[in-house]
Amino acid sequence: MITTEHYLVLSAILFTVGTIGVLVKRNPIVIFMCIELMLNAANLTLVALGRHFGQVNGQMYVIFALAVAAAEVSVGLGIIVAIFRTKETINIDEVNLMKF
Amino acid sequence: MNYAANLMSIMPVLIVLATGMIVLLGDACSAQWRARRWYTWGFSLFGVLMALVQAGNQLQTQMATTFSETAFAGSIVTDSFTLTCYVILLITALLAILLAMTYLENRNLNLGEYYALVLFSTAGGMLMACSNDLIVLFVSVEILSVALYVLSGFARTEEKSEEAALKYFLLGAFASGFLLYGIALVYGGSATANHAGTTNLADLNLYLINDGRPSVLLMCGIALLFVGLAFKAALVPFHMWTPDVYEGAPTSVTAYMAAGAKIGAFAALMRVCSALAPIGEYWLPAVQTLAVLTMFGGNILAVVQDNVKRMLAYSSIAHAGYLLVAVSAASVRNEQAHNAAMGAMAFYLMAYAVMTMGAFGVLIYLSRKGRDLQTIEDLRGLARTDTFAAYAMLVFMLSLGGIPPTMGFMGKWFIFSATLQAGQVWLAIVMALASIISIYYYLKIVWMMCFQEPERPEVVEHAVASGGVRATIVLSLATMLVFGILPGALGILLNAAETTVFRP
Repeated sequence: MITTEHYLVLSAILFTVGTIGVLVKRNPIVIFMCIELMLNAANLTLVALGRHFGQVNGQMYVIFALAVAAAEVSVGLGIIVAIFRTKETINIDEVNLMKF
Repeated sequence: MNYAANLMSIMPVLIVLATGMIVLLGDACSAQWRARRWYTWGFSLFGVLMALVQAGNQLQTQMATTFSETAFAGSIVTDSFTLTCYVILLITALLAILLAMTYLENRNLNLGEYYALVLFSTAGGMLMACSNDLIVLFVSVEILSVALYVLSGFARTEEKSEEAALKYFLLGAFASGFLLYGIALVYGGSATANHAGTTNLADLNLYLINDGRPSVLLMCGIALLFVGLAFKAALVPFHMWTPDVYEGAPTSVTAYMAAGAKIGAFAALMRVCSALAPIGEYWLPAVQTLAVLTMFGGNILAVVQDNVKRMLAYSSIAHAGYLLVAVSAASVRNEQAHNAAMGAMAFYLMAYAVMTMGAFGVLIYLSRKGRDLQTIEDLRGLARTDTFAAYAMLVFMLSLGGIPPTMGFMGKWFIFSATLQAGQVWLAIVMALASIISIYYYLKIVWMMCFQEPERPEVVEHAVASGGVRATIVLSLATMLVFGILPGALGILLNAAETTVFRP
């Protein structure tokens, strides 16, 4: 029997994986995928809780979150393309003109 | 409440959004419009002024009736704190648009999208101030941030600007992950045996009053929520992106970002904290720790900078710390202290917005064609070569440092006395100590300008000295001094808390 707790634990694990990924990865696209993983972990929590409470709110919140994430993707990829055009690389260790 | 009344209550936001869309469409569709940048500029200015008039009107009725209303099924609240934040944000947007035109032209960046993005992010900030539901808060934070990601990379062929955009974007999106997960956990954690969870701040407040002990899930949610908002408000230790983004972004964007994003973030933080006030003993120590770290971190790191924009970035972090002290004072169960702290916060936000826009305005005024003013060394002997700029900068620096008779001093004073009223004496003392450090680096600029000989004694012709930039500087200067001497004239701001919904 799969209960709401299972979903919550799964989303906590996904969120942690996403956070660690953001911290260790060096390619902005992969970092961004990890951020998406974090957002989707939150979405999973919302959906599971919405179902648990028998409310439609949780499901609706996810639609909002998805729309926001889509807007972020388009802006983010635009920025990454612009960087690639000038620098021919997107490795974030080489995007380091400004420090401390 | 019917549909039209719902829309009426967020009229200023709608005006700003509509102006943004018209500017964007006009720029995209009409070649004639594109040929004359002046249209875009003038129309955005007109839209912001209209919204300002509307917000002022609403504020006046609000003051007369001391009535706070919710709209859209309780997810949006219009009270005097909301309307005050509207006014402050709109003034910031107004100054940002005034500043932008010739600066952008000199850097070959004068595109219509700039104004549209400024308007959209202003609308986002305004929605943050009126959100009464965590999911509205999330969406409006994103409206504000996504527009700012684009703006910070607006000089899209310059490596520094691109780098700023990438850093801001990655860290901002990372923070939104925390924010959304925090909201999800609050939704789950606020459930009881007979009630489903809620993200509505008023319901959350009621739940916490009736059911004193928060669950572990709720505590985790609140912690993540604070992390997300702290990233947006640039609090130490979540401030790493700030100096890089402020340095890399075009200066007019930095000016807007420094003021606008901070106002939005603190309005949201204030709303969340007031709703959570009944369980203050659980999270208040964390907020106070953040405040101390932010004040000292920002001020100490600002001392060692030699780039003016970076120095102002760290100084903006320190100012976020002072504002956080006001948040902490507003979260005690003492109505008088709460009201005083809300008012102090509104006053300080206004002062901070005006003095930051002014200081960056002077940097824009001084920027040579194609090249930004960078180091403190560039300001050497400015009092000889450009008296107007030097004395304007002098007043802004004194105000940022909190020296009378400026608005910065009065703002700090109000926060200080509200903190004392709230019984957080140690925090008030820490704040005073931290602002003593700040005087060193603000006066370093004054010393460089006024007591050093210029490298080249002749008067330099500045490429940028447009009416808009001058107007911004003069307006900020006047506001700074008039309300520094007569703070009571801004009584509306100080009464910002009169009708707020939550009573701790």
